[in-house]
Amino acid sequence: MSTDNGQQRLDEFAEEVKNLKMSGGLANPERTGSTLGVLLMVIGGVIVVILSFIKRGETSFDDSAAGLAEIIQATNNVWTALFGIALILIGLAVWIRNSLTRYFRYWLTRLIYEDRANTDRLIEAIERARAER
Amino acid sequence: MTAETPSTAGPVPVLELVGIRAGYGSIDVLHGVELTLMPGEVVALLGPNGAGKTTTLGVCSGQIVPSAGSVMVMGKEVNRVRPDALARAGMCLVPEGRGIFPNLTVAENLRMCTFTGTSFKDVQERAFAQFPRLGERKSQLAGTLSGGEQQMLAMSRALATNPALLMLDELSMGLAPIIVEELYERVAELAASGLSILIVEQFAQSVLGVAKTAAIMLHGRVTRTGPPEEIAEELTAAYLGAAAH
Repeated sequence: MSTDNGQQRLDEFAEEVKNLKMSGGLANPERTGSTLGVLLMVIGGVIVVILSFIKRGETSFDDSAAGLAEIIQATNNVWTALFGIALILIGLAVWIRNSLTRYFRYWLTRLIYEDRANTDRLIEAIERARAER
Repeated sequence: MTAETPSTAGPVPVLELVGIRAGYGSIDVLHGVELTLMPGEVVALLGPNGAGKTTTLGVCSGQIVPSAGSVMVMGKEVNRVRPDALARAGMCLVPEGRGIFPNLTVAENLRMCTFTGTSFKDVQERAFAQFPRLGERKSQLAGTLSGGEQQMLAMSRALATNPALLMLDELSMGLAPIIVEELYERVAELAASGLSILIVEQFAQSVLGVAKTAAIMLHGRVTRTGPPEEIAEELTAAYLGAAAH
């Protein structure tokens, strides 16, 4: 690389840096993801539990207007409970995804370290055998 | 190189750290690091173990997100840019301990750096032109190479991606002085070609004749900058615990 090429590379570098996106920044994205997943599950669970304590309607169906209001209310409650269940499922999916990523990251790192240690042992053994010969 | 304030005029620094605080979890290791690397310059960051040199490189390469301060590359703040994006742009780190795959062959290790889009053929050509010894051993397991050859492989892998900024972490670690000399001769050639280089080392002697400027790092701060010859003595004092700050 000549100095001219160096300047050219520097200009290219400046251009590439200018176009970089600030997409990173979380020191531990999986932990944040796992926490978000748990939070979603808790919110969903709270919604479902609250709705399960709502008393069943006791309005006489002779009063059709009150009965209709109660049916609408009950339908709304069912939809809200379904929303809560959806939050639980989404939270579970987010939590599983991030937990697995954390686990596999750890597993991969361990595998690399073990592999390195094994290679070192192998090299040591080869060198020892060579020295003994 | 200046260690006090960010540059405001003249050529834009390739790399500039402004008041960097960073660490691991809730523990800060860097307490306001200031460092500037101008285009084509070679700067050595020297200091004892635990001073924060490797953490500084971690911050520069985007692997550690600083809790305060700015990492400026070509005048743009890159605090929250992913490390792979920085590497693709041309910031290349040769980590401490070489960072090669010992159970892959030399050629397979070189194949790993085709991520930037450079063809494998080009990567091999560049690597073997710079370090012919690697060409002779391309089918050999990288773990069975000598320490110096492993370091050459790590460097050639970095250089094959045509970096604009090269960061070397303790190139001399565990190597015989003659090998270190050979490696630094190569670094000097790269510097002469206009590549900006940030070198982290424990001893000033290693970088004499390569780096024009050196900075002493102690307790997570850059405490002094100057020519390596001048600060070698101060560095020795720091190792003996005489330098407070």
